[in-house]
Amino acid sequence: MLHSIKPKGRTIFLYLLVPVAMFVFTVFVPLMTAFVYSFFEWKGGPQKTFTGLNNYIALFTDKTFWEAFSHNIYLVIVCIVGQIGIAFILVMMVNSKLVKLKGMHRTFGFFPSTISAVCIGLIWNMIYHNQYGIINWFLKTIGRADLCKVWLNETSMVMLLVAIPLIWQFIGYYMVIILSAISSIDTEVFESAEIDGANGVQKAWYITLPLIKNTMLVCTTLCIAGNMKAFDNIFVMTKGGPGTASMVMAMYGYQVSFSQSNMGYGSCISVGIFVLSLLVIGGSQGVIKFFTREKEA
Amino acid sequence: MKNDNGINKIQKTVMGVLMNFILIVFSLSCIFPIVWMIYSSLKEKRAFNADIIGLPKAPTLVNYTRILTNSDYHLAESMFNSVRTTFLSIVLIVLFSFIVGYILARVRFKLNRVLYVMFLMGMLIPIHSLLVPIYVVFRNCGLSNKWFTLLLPYVSFGLPMGIFLVEGYVKGIPVSLEEAAAIDGSSFSNTLWKIILPICKPILVTVAIIQIFSCWNEFSFALVLLKDVSLQTVPLALTQFKGQFASDYPKQMAAMLITMSPIVVLYFVFSKQIIKGMVAGAVKG
Amino acid sequence: MKKKWLGLLLSTAMVTSMLAGCGGKADETSTPASEPTKEPTKEASEEKSTPAAETPSDASADGVTYVGDLEIMHYSTSEESEGNGGSDGFRTVLKMWDEMHPDITLTQNVLANAEYKTQIATLAAANDLPDVFLLQGMNTIDWANQGLVYDLTSDIKSSPYYSDYNEAYFAPFTVGDSIYGYPALTGGTCTVVIYDKAMWKDAGFDTFPTTWADIEKASEYFNGQNITTVAFGNGGKWQANSCFLSTLGNRYTGPDWFMSMVSKGGAAFTDEEFVKALAETQRLFTETSIFNEDFNVVTNEDAREYYISGDAAAFIGGNWDESYIWATLQETDQEKWSNMGFAVLPQPADATKAPKSQNIGLGYAVAINAKLADNPEKLAAAIDLAEYITGPEFASFVAENYALGGLTKVADVDLSGFDPITQDFYNWSYVDTETCEIYDSYITNAVWDVLNTDLQTMMNGDMSPEEVAANAQKAYEANY
Repeated sequence: MLHSIKPKGRTIFLYLLVPVAMFVFTVFVPLMTAFVYSFFEWKGGPQKTFTGLNNYIALFTDKTFWEAFSHNIYLVIVCIVGQIGIAFILVMMVNSKLVKLKGMHRTFGFFPSTISAVCIGLIWNMIYHNQYGIINWFLKTIGRADLCKVWLNETSMVMLLVAIPLIWQFIGYYMVIILSAISSIDTEVFESAEIDGANGVQKAWYITLPLIKNTMLVCTTLCIAGNMKAFDNIFVMTKGGPGTASMVMAMYGYQVSFSQSNMGYGSCISVGIFVLSLLVIGGSQGVIKFFTREKEA
Repeated sequence: MKNDNGINKIQKTVMGVLMNFILIVFSLSCIFPIVWMIYSSLKEKRAFNADIIGLPKAPTLVNYTRILTNSDYHLAESMFNSVRTTFLSIVLIVLFSFIVGYILARVRFKLNRVLYVMFLMGMLIPIHSLLVPIYVVFRNCGLSNKWFTLLLPYVSFGLPMGIFLVEGYVKGIPVSLEEAAAIDGSSFSNTLWKIILPICKPILVTVAIIQIFSCWNEFSFALVLLKDVSLQTVPLALTQFKGQFASDYPKQMAAMLITMSPIVVLYFVFSKQIIKGMVAGAVKG
Repeated sequence: MKKKWLGLLLSTAMVTSMLAGCGGKADETSTPASEPTKEPTKEASEEKSTPAAETPSDASADGVTYVGDLEIMHYSTSEESEGNGGSDGFRTVLKMWDEMHPDITLTQNVLANAEYKTQIATLAAANDLPDVFLLQGMNTIDWANQGLVYDLTSDIKSSPYYSDYNEAYFAPFTVGDSIYGYPALTGGTCTVVIYDKAMWKDAGFDTFPTTWADIEKASEYFNGQNITTVAFGNGGKWQANSCFLSTLGNRYTGPDWFMSMVSKGGAAFTDEEFVKALAETQRLFTETSIFNEDFNVVTNEDAREYYISGDAAAFIGGNWDESYIWATLQETDQEKWSNMGFAVLPQPADATKAPKSQNIGLGYAVAINAKLADNPEKLAAAIDLAEYITGPEFASFVAENYALGGLTKVADVDLSGFDPITQDFYNWSYVDTETCEIYDSYITNAVWDVLNTDLQTMMNGDMSPEEVAANAQKAYEANY
């Protein structure tokens, strides 16, 4: 079977020229600039002092940075399961014959991803609020006032609490992607499966999932990339607090660059985030490939 | 092979009720923020601060009149800027994602994987900590503070996701289509635009939908790369509603609703077509 | 059906937004008059008085010959100026200057404060600052040492208003003997206790207690009533530093310690007295039940609502909170409004210094880009602008309309036109109390950011005062 086609090299070159040039200029030139800055001590002004690898050495022993990294990893795992997993299940439900109002679900689901982080943060702060919040109100109503907490002040729980809004917000985003992928599957496949007596779960697991494998891989990559640089929601909700209990890498880099005016070290953190994200994505793709191959065999 | 006995029917009904219930709860939770914003924008600041979740006791349009009568907020101008920037960005993102995504999925050439990884890397860049280098590069090239300034980052940072979605999608299309076209003597460009483009419509619609909102809401680049008030986009103009130590949330929400309305209306008006577009592109055979 | 309903709602919103377009355009021609439904400001009973109108001769008299563009960046958005005397005055006086100088095209780049900070930091990093801007005290040393800011020492000394300046306000903008800015906006306290006189009377206190021991006693009473004794919000992480520790620290260390920190005269965060202040802070927030339990999550804006609603008997915040509470209560609850009392932070039992102190100062100064030195005419215009917007015009505007003070002293402020609460607050701020420095107006933000983050952890009881002090000292040595 043919897997690729061979047009003229020049045609390809012309097609790729503008997007690639634009991308390299806007994305890679600043990244390289940041890479250069990361070798300097730079307080945000015209003066920079070359300090060699000092910033990187500091980064390796920077407890806050590695704590933030572990929070990012946590987010990645929780969000892959939460965002993509739930989105897939919901899409399967929406596509089920038993479900009504399909149009409404498809339209509404995407809605939270359209709203700015400020607003989402505000809403969830209200849900978690100690005095007016919905959770504490519910606990009081069912007579368990003893379980009431200042939720976002719980060091051990705060990462989960900031992850929930993230999951909720982006379920719709992955639903849209998965929906469009499923729409490209030939309906005859399902029909024949139904004749064979496959139930909904079996269809989803044995037919749909393998057929949209590529899209699911893309979703996973998007999810990892998005969560390795998570920033907005958490910034609005907790500013990384209490202390550094919900600090993530991008926020730390921003804080070092802007709140501490340490642009050199801030650039070094950006490079760090970039490299670590690359490793995580590469690793995850290896893992996924390993598992999917085994399945095919 | 269908065995329609009673138990199976009950099971099905229970499943149906359960699934409907879950989905309705989910959908309502998704729509709640906007409903909340709408009725909160009808409150005065003090009424809002005293009771954040409740319905307004004395609904008022005062927030809207305050916004619309104060020229310092320059919402009309910023909306125009946002519409222009978003529209052009989306067109370019969709176009480029389609071209690059297709080529990366189908054409074998030496740099294929290099480009793939390069675009992948684009998704990993933490923009918040790269704001200063980007500003420096843009200023040195004389590209900051122009009407088209924001197009560059919006398109460039929107591209990777678009490319990945298109690439993944194209890989799911049987190659036989293009083989047949090639046998019929269709050139690469002809195949690309006449055969592949219609098939890719659902994923391109998806890319557009996802990106339109991120362009519309984007804040950091707009803050750093633009200085002229007359070039500001909506999210920046909205900061005029914030004070240093106090925020008038209902007023901010009224402003957000006003500024969000064009695209949200667009989304709802066309949601049928959009979904149809996403579903109808299915490849048969 | 639901969708139709929603569609209807949204199309209404769209119509409104189209109106926004029209409204905006129609408005461009008219003057941005003050809003029809303006919130009550602390205006004296007579109409808002603008300083005597300028005669055109004034413009030539100030010797500004520059013709061309001048750019100023600031954060007094029109939102900010509602009810905030400093911002209102700043905008008003800036507009007056603009009108007096028709040959100069003054471009104002206005962003809300948080965004202002991000953009100005980016511009400074790229050595691309605007002509005139607001310099934050804690950035002064870094930016001055890098030659970003013009040295204004001689211009300030030769300013026509020099004799009226309150010289203490220059301190955060001074490096060695050089001064880099005209302190701007209004000087207000960062740490004031606002309390409800009636509630505290019920608790058995005719005036606000002067010791924390008494507050703890009072908290037993208030907690029995299900009322928070003192509301505080540290959700933004800076509040504990600016609105608490800065004053409490002074009670332990006295002012000399901090001045020694500023001048690198040998003091350290790890000094015993300062660590004691941290320990007391930790004790008050973790071991007593004085404060609202969500103090580390809510912002000052949320916390002051606890006070306004009567859920808290007192509140600790800054002058900006005072003006908000004042305006809100005046409109909604006259009785509670008339019971507003002001106090300094109570004195800790083991603190020995300055029991009546509160921190006050001007956090920002009008500064000028060093590059303007190449263009003397433009520089003269910029200096004139800076002098004007911090000078007597501004000072009398805020004194007469808001009972606030700025850089320039105003002789004989007539308070009789103001209500008793505003008079009380004026006297409390400028007359009856001792002043001390606002920590984060000095040194460098690299230190404060570290300290603020650790403070939040410490106030949860997850870090010891000694560790906090050690980390802050490390940041201080590395960055200052």
